[in-house]
Amino acid sequence: MANLKDIRKRIGTIDSIRQVTRAMKLVAAAKLRRAQTNMEQARPYANRINGVLKHLLPDINRSAHQLLTMRPAKKKAFVVVTSDRGLCGSFNTNILRHAHAIIDEVGKKEQSQLICIGRKGYEYFSKRGYDVVDHYTGFWKDLDFSHAQEMAGAITDHYLKGDFDDVRVIYNQFKNVAQQEIVEFHFLPLVLEENDETITTDYLFEPSKDEVVKSLVPRHLNVQMWRFLLESNASEQAARMTSMEAATENAGELIDSLRLEYNKARQAAITTEILEVVSGAEALVE
Amino acid sequence: MPAQFHLEIITPTHVFDEGQVDYVRAPGVDGSFGVMAGHTESIMALDIGEIKVVKGSVEIFYACARGFAEITKDGVQLLVESAELKENIDLKRAQEAYERAKALLKKKQDEMLDEEQALRALKRSMNRMSVARK
Repeated sequence: MANLKDIRKRIGTIDSIRQVTRAMKLVAAAKLRRAQTNMEQARPYANRINGVLKHLLPDINRSAHQLLTMRPAKKKAFVVVTSDRGLCGSFNTNILRHAHAIIDEVGKKEQSQLICIGRKGYEYFSKRGYDVVDHYTGFWKDLDFSHAQEMAGAITDHYLKGDFDDVRVIYNQFKNVAQQEIVEFHFLPLVLEENDETITTDYLFEPSKDEVVKSLVPRHLNVQMWRFLLESNASEQAARMTSMEAATENAGELIDSLRLEYNKARQAAITTEILEVVSGAEALVE
Repeated sequence: MPAQFHLEIITPTHVFDEGQVDYVRAPGVDGSFGVMAGHTESIMALDIGEIKVVKGSVEIFYACARGFAEITKDGVQLLVESAELKENIDLKRAQEAYERAKALLKKKQDEMLDEEQALRALKRSMNRMSVARK
């Protein structure tokens, strides 16, 4: 039978762990709410830009815009969006495993370059000797649209310089609190699936259609990048929330079973003591 | 023809719904232009600059970054990467950003790396200051 004091100590330890995980869960829930509002606020802007671009693209000469022209994809780049911090269940593990598989499939380390967003991904791939051209870490806690601008700008610069011919973004898409979906998105060159609900209005373009497209494409890329960051951020917080909730629950169960064990041990100790007293008294009577 | 139209300023982080307004002036890439009710439906690229909104006797100013304006018969939507109400601009921060961009430009003279970005940052901060000081 385990020592009473030891069990008491363990219960204490687990209880304080439970307090920590519970606090983390609450923090993650609050952050998740904020992340979801951010996502909602980005939507009107993203939708409008997308709509206007879709409306314009059929009319313009794609080859005049480098960002819209496909070229033979000799060198591919992958943008992997992970979090900076752990303790969020399988959030990072899943996406890293997935990204790893995709990248190895495309070509060995020489043909693919990586841009790591979030410390976990950066650590993972740089440790394994992959070619990490850029990495961004430590920005999640004060996530801002300017980060998206910076990243999208840097990626576009690389692309225009010819450092790579094709850019994919691998990130976690937020489905609901319990589910994240890993998505691979074709970032550059820009492909927009044509759809039927194009705007029918006959607009006047100022200064010209081509100029408008030229200024719209970078805006579009920025907001796309922003969306990836927001989705990933919301997914991360959701993943952390669920895993911390599970941890809190597990701690509770563990405490319950330990408490049972503790009570059994205590009872056994008392019984032995009574036995000792009684038999001691009986010995005196005789 | 209605004398007023609906104006929305949409940024990736916020939507400013101005409601019915009389007039808006926005910084087009080829110079500022004004829009009143009944304007031709158009899409115009916008530069860093100042947005002026007139609602009755009230004038509202924003400092905005690049984007575009969509003018339809239902109203005007200004889609810009950032918009700050004149009253909300932090002059001190703008000043700091200005100094930073200037220092960056000086340093980058020989490498020419990202000169455009630094220039843009400079322009943005100057714009913020000029709008705030009005």
